Amino acid sequence: MLKTIAVAMLVSAAGLMTAYAQGGGKVTVVTSFSKDVTDPLKAGFEASNPRFTLDVQNKSTSSGVKYLDEIKANNQVDLFWASAPDAFDSLKGKNLLAKFTPAVTGLPDKVGSYTVNDPDGFYFGFAASGYGIMWNERYLEANGLVKPAEWSDLTKPEYFDHIAIAAPSRSGTTHLTIETILQGEGWDKGWGTLKAMGGNLQQVTERSFGVPDAVNSGQTGIGVVIDFFAFSAQASGFPVGFAYPSVTTVVPANVAIVTNAPNRKGAEAFINYLLSEPGQTVLLEPSIRRLPINPALYAKAPEGFPNPFKDARFQSMIAFDADVSKKRTDVVDTLYDQLITFQLDNLKAATRAIHDTEIALAAGENAQARALLDEARGMIAAMPISADQAASAEIGDAFTGGDQKTARQAELEQQWAAFATEKYAAAKAKAEEALALTQ
Amino acid sequence: MDAMVTETGLAGSAKEINIRDVDLFYGDLHVLKNVNLNIRPGEFFAFLGPSGCGKTTLLRLIAGFNTARNGQVMIAGKDVLGTPPWKRDIGMVFQSYALWPHLTVRKNVAFGLEQRRLPRAEIDRNVNAALDLVGLRHLADRRPAQLSGGQQQRVAVARTIAIEPKVLLLDEPLSNLDAKMRVQVRRELRDLQQRLHLTTIFVTHDQEEANTICDRIAVFNDGQIQQVGTPMELYEKPTNLFVANFLGTANILNGKVSGAGTAKTFLVEGGGVLPIPEGAGVPENGRLVFRPQYATLGKAAEGAVRLPGTIVHREFLGATVRYGVKIGSSEVLVDQPFHSGASMLETGTAADVGLQPASALWLAA
Amino acid sequence: MAYALSSPSQRVSSRPGQMAAVLLIALFLGVFLIVPAGTVIYTAFTEKGTGTFTFVNFFDFFGTDLFVRSFWNSVYVSGMSVVWATVLALPLAVITTRFEFRGAIVIQTLGFVPLIMPPFVGAVAMQLLFGRNGTVNLLFNDWFGFKLPFMDGLNGVIFVQSLHYFPFILINLSTSLRNIDRAMEEAAQNLGASGFRLFRRIVFPLAMPGYLAGASLVFVKVFDDLATPLLLNVKDMLAPQAYLRVTSVGLTDPMGYVISVILIAVSIFAMWVSAIAMRGKDYSTVQRGGGGLSRRQLGPGESVVAYGVVLLILLLVLSPHIGLLLLSFATVWSFSPLPDAFTVAHYGRVFGESSLYIKNTLIYASLAGLIDVVVGGAIAYLVLRTRIVGRRWLDWAATSALAIPGVVLGIGYLRTFYGVTLPDGTPLATLWVMVVVALAIRRLPYALRACYAALQQISESLEEAAENLGATKLRTVRRIVLPLMMGGLLAGFVTSFSTAAVELSATLMLIQSNSDAPIAYGLYVFMQSPAGRGPGAALGVIAVVMVALCTLLSHYVIERRQKANGMAK
Repeated sequence: MLKTIAVAMLVSAAGLMTAYAQGGGKVTVVTSFSKDVTDPLKAGFEASNPRFTLDVQNKSTSSGVKYLDEIKANNQVDLFWASAPDAFDSLKGKNLLAKFTPAVTGLPDKVGSYTVNDPDGFYFGFAASGYGIMWNERYLEANGLVKPAEWSDLTKPEYFDHIAIAAPSRSGTTHLTIETILQGEGWDKGWGTLKAMGGNLQQVTERSFGVPDAVNSGQTGIGVVIDFFAFSAQASGFPVGFAYPSVTTVVPANVAIVTNAPNRKGAEAFINYLLSEPGQTVLLEPSIRRLPINPALYAKAPEGFPNPFKDARFQSMIAFDADVSKKRTDVVDTLYDQLITFQLDNLKAATRAIHDTEIALAAGENAQARALLDEARGMIAAMPISADQAASAEIGDAFTGGDQKTARQAELEQQWAAFATEKYAAAKAKAEEALALTQ
Repeated sequence: MDAMVTETGLAGSAKEINIRDVDLFYGDLHVLKNVNLNIRPGEFFAFLGPSGCGKTTLLRLIAGFNTARNGQVMIAGKDVLGTPPWKRDIGMVFQSYALWPHLTVRKNVAFGLEQRRLPRAEIDRNVNAALDLVGLRHLADRRPAQLSGGQQQRVAVARTIAIEPKVLLLDEPLSNLDAKMRVQVRRELRDLQQRLHLTTIFVTHDQEEANTICDRIAVFNDGQIQQVGTPMELYEKPTNLFVANFLGTANILNGKVSGAGTAKTFLVEGGGVLPIPEGAGVPENGRLVFRPQYATLGKAAEGAVRLPGTIVHREFLGATVRYGVKIGSSEVLVDQPFHSGASMLETGTAADVGLQPASALWLAA
Repeated sequence: MAYALSSPSQRVSSRPGQMAAVLLIALFLGVFLIVPAGTVIYTAFTEKGTGTFTFVNFFDFFGTDLFVRSFWNSVYVSGMSVVWATVLALPLAVITTRFEFRGAIVIQTLGFVPLIMPPFVGAVAMQLLFGRNGTVNLLFNDWFGFKLPFMDGLNGVIFVQSLHYFPFILINLSTSLRNIDRAMEEAAQNLGASGFRLFRRIVFPLAMPGYLAGASLVFVKVFDDLATPLLLNVKDMLAPQAYLRVTSVGLTDPMGYVISVILIAVSIFAMWVSAIAMRGKDYSTVQRGGGGLSRRQLGPGESVVAYGVVLLILLLVLSPHIGLLLLSFATVWSFSPLPDAFTVAHYGRVFGESSLYIKNTLIYASLAGLIDVVVGGAIAYLVLRTRIVGRRWLDWAATSALAIPGVVLGIGYLRTFYGVTLPDGTPLATLWVMVVVALAIRRLPYALRACYAALQQISESLEEAAENLGATKLRTVRRIVLPLMMGGLLAGFVTSFSTAAVELSATLMLIQSNSDAPIAYGLYVFMQSPAGRGPGAALGVIAVVMVALCTLLSHYVIERRQKANGMAK
């Protein structure tokens, strides 16, 4: 028995060697994409490259990164294929990605204002997606809500407890959206918007897909999601709608070759296929619905398919500074978790008090109450650290373990959480004080 | 101690038990067959029989753990068969004692009293009285697992009598004790029963236990009561071979009845003719039954009939010597008193067994 | 003094065979549990960046409000889950063991099914039924104008966890109840006790060891479970916090591992407390006489109530599976009490792929169950029947697997075994055998508890009798102990098997190719897209049915064996 196994192993190993040498064999890809995305692309790739077979290993983005890190000594994976650019950036930082120059040329450098490819040639955008607002039609109707159109709508009292978002620390794409708002509106005002929106949240999910899932099933009414989640849900018949706000972010989806890929030729072939016209065309399928990176293909796109290369909504997005983003990624994510995700009950209580007061003030204005209410809003918006501090080495190193740190991550988290707890309680008290004045 | 008993009122007025026409089935198995029995107030009564004879089944029926197909169980004139076990007020001591391992001795004994919602002080008083009665008050705070078998048995008794039951049922209470303890505990049980004047049923398969402490005995076999009587009656006048065999040792010889009227004789298989005394009932196909100590060897007394035989074995029992004597194809036992210096018969020697017709019985198979 | 005198002789009495068994098991646990988990958890004791050894992270843990709050939330949720699981399990256990009740076997089997809940789909189904806008709340809102927050916050976690884990109490309590000497109950009845008081004062205390075993398992499982709170978006509990920190991209935050250490410590502490509480309460050896609890006939009125209660509880605990079934046939189910329409298309979609998944699942889960029974049985024997040094440590080590998050074990396996290569260069960690071993380690505590229970019920005198007749220890084990333990071993196997069959967390890290994937992985892949929800549910139904059938089969085998041994009533 053992002998047979050993022989079989040797034979298969020998088979693999010859297959690789001839440019064929198994191409192993670790991906976070669902079957709906991978199956058509696998089929297309294998049809146009008959010598190769694509072996898809599904892992969440975060466990995929961990996985590649753990197996680097004896890597068996050829490709990493996922959305969030920060995951690729993290892999690149750990020297886990290999440089490559795709055979396909003539693709644009930017979609919207986001750079498509890694400037150093380690990973490549093959599709884009826009962020927007998804809703459940039945839910909105049952709760008498109008469809939200803009990010600012989501801070309105009527949407209190009706919204879901994925935690930016868990979802690279949400992180990009948060960062875009912070860069667009500035640190303090941006956080004010995020916390005002945060006060209306029903849930902060731990997986990106948790948001569309909750909206699809009607557990929550409104979700901040990437467009394809909404489009593929619509294609499956769910009563959901989707809109890009007038300012939206574009998120690229990426692919990269892993360092020491056992089947480098196959990996290259797959990237070339993804960027080629046939590969890009597959993205238009209803179950995938990602925005191709090749502008020419939009001519083939169905009616109403957004075109990030022409659509004003995508062009109006502010210039995204990747360097600023990179410096403070951990800090921004941790701040969001400590100020919003883990403080959701406190934040919601304060927000509810503010909403109540606002409604009361709409019936009869009261200057003193208005002043108190503004004060309460200020308290919620207040930040424990400034933009400069967030980008500083002292704080950044607390997260990376660098030698310039002045406090440990856990200490910072505790400080920020304590700060938020106190401010939200004070804001709630102020808002209630204001409410009392209106009566 | 008597003062304690009357003071706490543990002694109640004894109740009568009447069992009428009881039939009981386990599925299709007919376990009790038309059982009728009267147990007198204050009597110490034994159910005796081999295992599987139905004695425990009847006991559990009285306690309420079995259901009869028909018949009545009357206690003090009231049929209890419709009453659930917990309302019958019948105390039962289980073969395994069934002491609750998670409760102390005191709690075990107090359990039934607490159920009756007596005032705390009264409960304590009764528990102490019951424990005093069995002499275990000093172990009241131990758990059952920390007691010896005899102590456990006495706790089980104390627990049962503490509730002042109408009748007391004992299911082989001595079977888990060693031989010496058994003798001691059975005396204690008898004493206790006498003091409490409690109608008591004692289930056992051991005739010695039944004989030594019980007023009357019902012998069970195959789901039927074979005979009811005092230990002496059962010994002297068994009504069938089963009873004769089960209580004490019995010699049984086959033979034929010949003649008629007053001149009837019994022709023993293998030799010997026994005149049948006037008035002795001899059933058809009856067999001759006698106890080993009623026969003699060698010189036969006046009026005794001699049955020719050969000594086949000999056992020295201290006060007596027991000989096995072959008569025809049967073997009988004969006990001879042992005196110092008396000579013994050797095996192989021929010896006549002498038997007084008056001490013989004829019983149906 | 007495102990000091007797201990050398005890040590002498430990045979070379026992020594070898201890060493083998220690090696197994060491290589596949302690080393892999240790390499990961060691991070808890290092300073970030420098990697120097430190305890400062533990001070940080207790200095952080979020963690302290999470800790107490976890304790609260676990405790309340035990309470509610008891409320669900007690009536089922009592009715099926103490009364003549038709369908007792069916109930015992169905009562086991909640443990077999595939990942993701179960939570989705629960949300669709009990969520804020689930079936129940939509109907409540229509009829009465209010909603009940079944699934919100900590209460939601308690709700789902008690439905999910109550079988642990049901199984253990039922076994205990069945083993109570009927004379214990009759003695109490004879003294005038009946009904609830009889149960409260006598029956339940005697069943306490079984109840405690089940309750401690529920407590620890809920304390360590991360999937349910995360899917309900409850993050301020310990296990989710550990998971969020261990799996965040690009960061190595020691706090995640610190929390893992705390989880392990609390789990072992809880097991230890339950062991202390059970000390001296091993009533099986104290009780003599035959027969289990006497079963009572139900009156007509009582029957109606009993069947009503049983049906209600079964409906409640099986509701996730009912929801799953509906979901697998649903076209679209969104903000409505029932799906819009029904279809069998989802089954068609998974049909082709599922046979591979099913085959893999059956192989992995049954091998894992087998390993668990062998190792668990051996540990139980060593702990209960020998005085060999270190036997308790084996127990604690095996039990600690309960508390090690699957993802930590998965990473540990990659770290430990990826460097070890086979002759052809493939890493050891990529072999499917490692998935089996990981599953076996994860489920070992379940099988271990079952083996304990089985061995505890065998009177030692049976073994002594065999030895007295000249049988060696080994022969005694083979001829006497094993046959008598068979029922318990099978029960352990079933628990390991059925829960391993739907396990995902450790396997997600270790699955190297689609052809090696078990059914839980297939589910995961489907449940990442809206179109995959129906097929995912269909796959979930297939998994549940498959595992339930295997369970039923084992129950049947156990029954038959026990009848053959004359152990059944």
